[in-house]
Amino acid sequence: MATVVSASDQSRFIVPIGPQHPALKEPGHFEFTVDGEIITGASARLGYVHRGIEKGAESMNWTQCLYLLERICGICSHIHSIAYCQGLEKLADIEISPKARAMRTLVAELERIHSHMLWWGVAAHEGGFDTLFMYTWRDREIVMDLLETISGNRVNYSVNVIGGVRLDLSPEQVTKIVSGMKKLEERTKHYLEIVTNDSSFLARTRGIGVMTREEAQRLGAVGPTARASNVCRDVRVDAPYAGYHEYPVKIVTDTAGDLKARFVVRIKELFESYRIITNVAQNMPEGELKARRVPRKIPAGNVISRVEAPRGELFYYIESGGGEGPERIKVRTPTLPNWGSVLTMAAGLRLADVPMLLVGIDPCFSCNDRLIRLNPDGKQQTLTWQQLRDRGIEYYR
Amino acid sequence: MKNDLPAMFAILIFPGGLSLLLGGLMFEWIDRKFVARLQNRKGPKWYQPLADVIKSFSKEEIVPAGVNAGLFIGLPIVGVTTALVTGLYVPLFGFAPSHSFAGDLIVVLYFLSVLTLTLGVAGANTMDHFSLIGATRTLTQLFSYEAPFMLALLGPAIVAQSWQINEINVYAQNHTWFLFSQPIGFIIALIGLMGKLELPPFDAPEAETEIVSGALTEYSGRGLGLFHLGQDVEFIIGITLITTFYLGGLANPLEFILKSLGLLLVLTALQTLAARLRIDQTVGLWWRIGALLALIQLIISIAIRKLI
Amino acid sequence: MPETLGTMLSDILNSLVHKPVTTNYPAECCDEPIRTRGKVVYNAETCTGCRLCVRDCPANAIDIIILDRKEKRFVMHYHVDRCIFCGQCVESCRFDCITLTDTQWELASTSKNPFDLYYGNDEDVKKVLDKHTEIFDVGT
Repeated sequence: MATVVSASDQSRFIVPIGPQHPALKEPGHFEFTVDGEIITGASARLGYVHRGIEKGAESMNWTQCLYLLERICGICSHIHSIAYCQGLEKLADIEISPKARAMRTLVAELERIHSHMLWWGVAAHEGGFDTLFMYTWRDREIVMDLLETISGNRVNYSVNVIGGVRLDLSPEQVTKIVSGMKKLEERTKHYLEIVTNDSSFLARTRGIGVMTREEAQRLGAVGPTARASNVCRDVRVDAPYAGYHEYPVKIVTDTAGDLKARFVVRIKELFESYRIITNVAQNMPEGELKARRVPRKIPAGNVISRVEAPRGELFYYIESGGGEGPERIKVRTPTLPNWGSVLTMAAGLRLADVPMLLVGIDPCFSCNDRLIRLNPDGKQQTLTWQQLRDRGIEYYR
Repeated sequence: MKNDLPAMFAILIFPGGLSLLLGGLMFEWIDRKFVARLQNRKGPKWYQPLADVIKSFSKEEIVPAGVNAGLFIGLPIVGVTTALVTGLYVPLFGFAPSHSFAGDLIVVLYFLSVLTLTLGVAGANTMDHFSLIGATRTLTQLFSYEAPFMLALLGPAIVAQSWQINEINVYAQNHTWFLFSQPIGFIIALIGLMGKLELPPFDAPEAETEIVSGALTEYSGRGLGLFHLGQDVEFIIGITLITTFYLGGLANPLEFILKSLGLLLVLTALQTLAARLRIDQTVGLWWRIGALLALIQLIISIAIRKLI
Repeated sequence: MPETLGTMLSDILNSLVHKPVTTNYPAECCDEPIRTRGKVVYNAETCTGCRLCVRDCPANAIDIIILDRKEKRFVMHYHVDRCIFCGQCVESCRFDCITLTDTQWELASTSKNPFDLYYGNDEDVKKVLDKHTEIFDVGT
C-alpha cells in the first residue's frame, strides 16, 4: 500500500482515523501524517471485520451458500447473489427465463439507487452538509419502500434462487414503481443542481482528490470512482449479464476526476437506473420464474462470474468438485481495488478533506476484508478449521 | 424594564445564574428542534438538553493519563463561570442589567472569549491528537472571527457614544434599529456569532467526521456537562447582545422573547444551508471579507457622525 | 443555474409547511408490507418429514423431529434467534407446510425463552420436551 512516510521520521504527527471513528461507519484503520492541516502521508490497515465467509461457504451446500453470500454486503446484497447464481447456472448449464433475468435487473437497479443515495447522503454528512444528508435519506425511503413491497425486506431481498427468481411483480407494484421513479427523478434533478451549484459544497468538492485517467488505470480503480476519472468501464456494458442485453445502459463518465465528478457520475447513473427500471417494470416479459429442475449437485468445474455492483466490478470465482457444496468460493468486492486511489490521493490535501475522500470511493469495509497469507519462504501450509479455531481461541485468551 | 431585585438573587437565581442556565438550555432546544423541522425531522423533546446535562453530570469523569489534572478539572469551571458572569452585564430576558459600568461591553466580549480560550487550553492540555487539532482549530477560529465581531459591535457603540451595554440598550430603544442603519455590521455580527458558537457551517473545531469532538474529545461526565452548559450560556448571551445592539434594544421581557426568538430562528435556518467550511476557508472568509466589511461599516458610521 | 449559496432554501421552506416524515416508532407504527418475512409458522398436518427445509436452512434454525412418520406426528424445533428470515424453508417445502408470517416481525425479547419455539400438536411437543435429550440425538 502507498505509505509515503518513512518510519524513521520521529517528529511526525499522526492522526489516526479508526478503527472506531465517527467518519467511518465500519471499522478500518488509517493513519494520516499531518503537517499542521496538510497531509503528508497515508497508510491503511484493514481486516477488522474479517468474517471468514469464504471458508464458511465451503462447509455449506449450494442453496445455503446463496444466503450466506447475500449477506457479504448489507447495501449491495442482491448483486452478490446475482453473481453467485449466474456462476452456478453456467456451471450446471441451467437456462433462466427472460422474466427471471428482467426481474434480477430490476431489483439490481433499485438496489443501485438505494446504494448511491445512501452514499451521497453519507458523503454530504462527512462534508458537514447535514441538511443534504437528511433530505437524500428521506427520498431514499421511496426506493426502500419499493424494495420492501417487492421483496418484503429493506435489505437482503432473497429475490434470487438458483435457476431464477422467487418473486413476481403485481400490477399494483408496477404502478407504484413507475410513480416512485418519477418522483425520484424529479428529486434527483434537484440534487444534481445542489451538488453542481451550491458554492459552499463546491468549495469542499471541486478539485479535491483529483485522480487522472492514467492514474485511475494504473491503480486499477473500478466503478463510479474510475468512471469519474473518465475510465469507460462498466460490466453492464462490457459483458452484459442478466437483463442488460435486452435493457442496455449507457455509461456515464466525467473528465474531472475530483470529488465533485464522483458525485455527478453517481447522480447521473441514477437517471439511467430510473429509465431502466421503468422500462423493465412496464415491459416485463412473460414466462416462468424459475427453472424446473435444479440439481442439488453441481457438476465439477470452475467459473468466473463478473457483475457491476453499485460500487464497481464484483468478481466471483466458484469452484465445484461435483458435490452438494462449493470447493472454493473467492469473492473480490469493488472496494478493494479502490483503496489504492484513496491513499495516493490523500497526500497534499487538508485533514478536513479526508473524510470526504475516504467516503468518496464508497467504501464497504466488511465486504472487502479477506485474508490471504503468503508464506515468505513459498512453502505451502494447510490449516484445518479446528486448527484455525484453536488459534483464534489462543490468540484472544 | 427596571431591575430592583436583591443583588444575590439577581446573580444566583434571576436573571443570572439558574435562569440563565435554563434559558441557555431552552435556546439549545429551540435550535435543535427547529433545525430538525427544517430538515423534515421531528426533533427532540423539550427536556432533551436538560436530560443531556443531567446525564453528563451523573456519569463518571475520566481524567486521562498525561494531563494536568488540576487544569483538566478546573478549566470547565472557569469556562462556565466566565460565561455566567457576562449575564450580569447584558439586559437578559429584557430586564436592565443588574450590574453596569462604563466599558462593560469590553468586559463582556473578553469574558465570552475566555470560554473559547478555556476550550482551546482544555484541548491542548490532553495528549490526544484529535483534541490537539481541535484546540488549534478553536484558537485559530477565535483569532479569525473575534476582530470582525468586535468591530461589528463597536459600530452601534460609536453611534451611541458609549461603551456601556445598558446605555446602548437605551439608545437603541429610542432610535431607528441599527439593523437598518448599519446592515453590514448586523450581518457580520450575526455570522460572527455563528463562528463564536461554533455552529455549522463554522463547526470545523468540533467537526465530528474529522476530529471526533475536537477539543472536548477526552472530556466526559462533569467536565463535558459544564462545557456544554457554558456554550449554551454563551449562546443566549450572544443572541441577547446582538438583539440589544441591532434590533432596537430590549425594553421588556416580551420584546426579549419576540426579538431573540426571531434572531434565533434566523440563526438556525442559516445553519442548515451550507456545507462545513474548512478552517483555512473560515480564516480566509473572516480576514479577507469579514474584517474588511466591518471596517468599512465602522468608517462609514464615524464619517456620518462627523458630518452631522 | 449559477453558483449560489443556499441552494437548499426551497427544501427547508417546504419543510416548514409540511409534517415531519420521521415517526415516533415504538409509539406509532407503520403498516408492514404484504410480503414481509416474519416468524416461521409450521403446519404438521401436511408435512411428510422429508427434512429438506432442515438441510437447506442456512442458519440451522430449524429441526424437524419425527415421532411417527405414518401417523404424521412431527414436531418442529424452531430457533427464532438463529433464523435469518430468508424464506428458503418455504421455498424448499413441496407441501406448503411452512409459511412466514407477515405480522410478527418485532421479535426482540429480554429473555431467551421466546426464541425457542416448538410447533406441532401439544401432546407431541410435550413428549419432545420431556425426552428432549434422547430424541434430539435420534433427530440428528
